[in-house]
Amino acid sequence: MEIKFNKKMYSLKAVKSAIQAYRGLADFDFKQKGAYIKVELKNINKDVEEMIKDEFCNYVLFLMKL
Amino acid sequence: MKKIKTKINKNQVIFYLSVKIYSLEAIYGAAYVFIDRAYLFLDSCSEKKIAVFLKGKNKLSRKQLEALKGDFLNELLDYAFRIKLSRNSRKLREFIVGQALVSAYGDDEVVQENEIGYEDDPLGIAVSWEDKYGAKPKKAEKENK
Repeated sequence: MEIKFNKKMYSLKAVKSAIQAYRGLADFDFKQKGAYIKVELKNINKDVEEMIKDEFCNYVLFLMKL
Repeated sequence: MKKIKTKINKNQVIFYLSVKIYSLEAIYGAAYVFIDRAYLFLDSCSEKKIAVFLKGKNKLSRKQLEALKGDFLNELLDYAFRIKLSRNSRKLREFIVGQALVSAYGDDEVVQENEIGYEDDPLGIAVSWEDKYGAKPKKAEKENK
């Protein structure tokens, strides 16, 4: 699973903090490519597989407000 | 009135906002309010436009998604106005806070002022007219002139 965060809307700091918080639920990897921060999720916990993407995005957005 | 371009599919409503009208700060503010009601995602589709993806946490009908979008836009307008108001009243706010701090800090000086008796007259106010401008000329002196 891959999520592309636009650098204009999302900071690297927020993405890193969210990865730190969610690392127990999946294996995360990220890289910056052009205008985007690409986050890759592997070995996702089956209990949260359906919602992890949306919840993760919400959490990154929440961190942007802080 | 120009309608905001909207797409609805898979329990999700996508619409585009102009950066000229709504600041990113206002969009974050409105998004923050909706975090418990929906899943949100932002993207930039061009230099001037921001795409907002609003996805229902539960299964929502087309009407409900439209209503969600409407609520989001109302909240966005509210935030944009609040930011504008806050910018416009910034100087006044700073002045009021400054005055409050000065008056809180200056309590000792007020007490000191009250301790000075009126007879002390440190500002030199209690001076009679005569002392300041000399005695009034008499009537006869005035007529001679």
